[in-house]
Amino acid sequence: MTENKFRVALAGNANVGKSVVFNQLTGLHQHIGNWPGKTVEKAEGTLHFKDYSIDIIDLPGIYSLSTFSLEELISREYIAVERPDLVINIVDASLLERNMFFTLQLIELETPIVMALNQMDMAKRKGIKIDHEKLEKLLGIPVIPTVAVSGTGIYELLEKAVETIEKRGKKPSQMNYGEEVEERIGALSELVQKIHYPYPSRWTAIKLLEKDEQVDREINKIDPEILHASENLAKEIEEIHGHSCSTVITSERYEIASRITREVQEVTPPTKPPTRERIHTLTTHKIFGYPIMAVTVLLIFYSIFTFGDYTSGLLGDSLFGLKPIFEGIFGTGVVGKLVWGGIIEGIIGGVTVALPYILPFYFVLYFLEDSGYLSRIAFLMDKFMHKIGLHGKAFIPVMLGFGCNVPGCLGCRIMETTRERLLAAFVVTLVPCAATTVIILGLVGRFVGFQWALALYVVDLLIIFILGRIAFKTLPGEPTALIMEMSDYRVPHMKTVLKQTWFRLMDFITMAFPLIIVGSLVIKMVEILNLLEPIASILSPVTVTWLGLPAITGITLIFGVLRKELTLIMLATLFGTANFAEKMTSVQMIVFTLVAMLYIPCIATIAALIREFGWKKTYIITVSEILLALLLGGITFRLLSF
Amino acid sequence: MELRLSDLRDGESGVVISIGTSRGRGDADRVGRGWGFRKRLEDMGLTPGTEVTVVRSAPFSGPLEIYVRGSRLAIGRRMAERIFVEVKR
Repeated sequence: MTENKFRVALAGNANVGKSVVFNQLTGLHQHIGNWPGKTVEKAEGTLHFKDYSIDIIDLPGIYSLSTFSLEELISREYIAVERPDLVINIVDASLLERNMFFTLQLIELETPIVMALNQMDMAKRKGIKIDHEKLEKLLGIPVIPTVAVSGTGIYELLEKAVETIEKRGKKPSQMNYGEEVEERIGALSELVQKIHYPYPSRWTAIKLLEKDEQVDREINKIDPEILHASENLAKEIEEIHGHSCSTVITSERYEIASRITREVQEVTPPTKPPTRERIHTLTTHKIFGYPIMAVTVLLIFYSIFTFGDYTSGLLGDSLFGLKPIFEGIFGTGVVGKLVWGGIIEGIIGGVTVALPYILPFYFVLYFLEDSGYLSRIAFLMDKFMHKIGLHGKAFIPVMLGFGCNVPGCLGCRIMETTRERLLAAFVVTLVPCAATTVIILGLVGRFVGFQWALALYVVDLLIIFILGRIAFKTLPGEPTALIMEMSDYRVPHMKTVLKQTWFRLMDFITMAFPLIIVGSLVIKMVEILNLLEPIASILSPVTVTWLGLPAITGITLIFGVLRKELTLIMLATLFGTANFAEKMTSVQMIVFTLVAMLYIPCIATIAALIREFGWKKTYIITVSEILLALLLGGITFRLLSF
Repeated sequence: MELRLSDLRDGESGVVISIGTSRGRGDADRVGRGWGFRKRLEDMGLTPGTEVTVVRSAPFSGPLEIYVRGSRLAIGRRMAERIFVEVKR
């Protein structure tokens, strides 16, 4: 029954409890992927209510519908072009004015809206009382008070949503700007009406006056005359107000939001500062903020590694215990070797990284984000991150990268623009992850000396610093700067955090596992066909002549693509001893480790990069890192043997 | 008196006059660098006439925590340098 199928989009600012509402609505029927061709996450879910099957699309959390970020573009395009049956605008009741600024823009998109006035409990604790019935009247859209974390109002919200869809056709009435602006919007939208453009004509006119990059460009293609007219009209407004037209429109929009807020809300601030305020002061404190952050980060790493090491070992042991069973079924011939060594070992490799490390890192990421602490860390680290051309928010993915590059790369989506994401991900792939640390400590630290291991770490950080700056300078686009909301601290909604973690892990697994399996199959084939030695000798001009390493390191470096620690394990296997000092000189060990550290992101990281940025950018990052590793390795070899 | 937001002391308030380019006062180039950020700052509520309070600044001339329209924002110092405010001193 297609007529009972609806599409509803959730839209709202960040930190308003949107994902909690999404999870309350959709339960376990959800799917997380990306918007087609974009690096923006798309969460979809289905729910059944009365006789209806409703698809819920969770739009990204944004503050405006301009062109600042990809999220904003995707959201407005989805609402205006894909035309969902309804938009549920989720609003933080304790921050009504800022949230309403976004609501007003949704209204301009002329889409049916129901507002969920969420976090009513938070508002109450802050001494804010809202007359939601009056708000409903003033805005001309239905308003339902909700407390998503406890499920309060969710049923009413759904009922109202369905009721609004059933009465379809009713557009919310538009808010009026000042007379001189309104006149020009009218004149311009008359011109826009004559052309074919997917957005509402009034909205288009407003965006033209705001000099919205995308709308300007698209209208210019259709009819440059309209753009010309809008420029003249904008100039007139600019002359009247003495500010740019976009400033005037934004101000007036905020003015409306502010006026309505004053009419519907009463504030009696609590007498003593609440605990969350005191935590905020402490965690952003000039002196105490840093040790608190350091302890938190170290604790997280310590517990994840303890957990990861234990579970990884346990999983590995029990999964490798299955070997005889597989050999029993497929034999120990070529087929058996391919099935076990190629497919199954690939899966085991993936599982022993995904579950013990990626899962807890995801959990921590979403937990910290939801609690509000992430933004405080970004605040404290902003200055430092600017040194490598990024801003404070990038500290989090980079920090995760030290544990495992995969959640690091995927965590880059907390950055606003594609440029920032790419920059951050590039830096993350250079960060020594846990496996790289194993090589540094296990080879150089053990056989050459701890100070040399430390030196390698320092070199890596220097490389990050230098390359970060170079990439920052060369990538086109506006420079990065921090601007973010530091929402009030709150206790994260566990169910939502757990679901977010789980579904994103699933998303990663479906993306990465095929690649991991293909990768290990290919390498296994090479091994079975006895091509390892020939490849090692093909590589010998690079490994032996340029890097001064034993020829077999070529083989281990190939295996290292699957998992970095395999470079060390394979080295021990091929040498027939784990006492590397017998077979390699100190210089060779240092050069080998340096190369292994930088030469390529592991296959899971490559998968994560492809997932986020596509094949081309992944290819560029990978190739440039191979070249960099070889260049630095060769130079180091020559410097150290001098 | 007119100051850059970044020059305010912790706890001090001012009223936004305009958001300029990184170099000086006046409107940023319409489509050139700086336009996106001005729009972003305005979208976050820093429109002319709005009262803004600097709550604290991060050490080593890091970002500023500001209070505007009932919410708390963190903005990089370079951005704060572009925001001109009227302050009573």
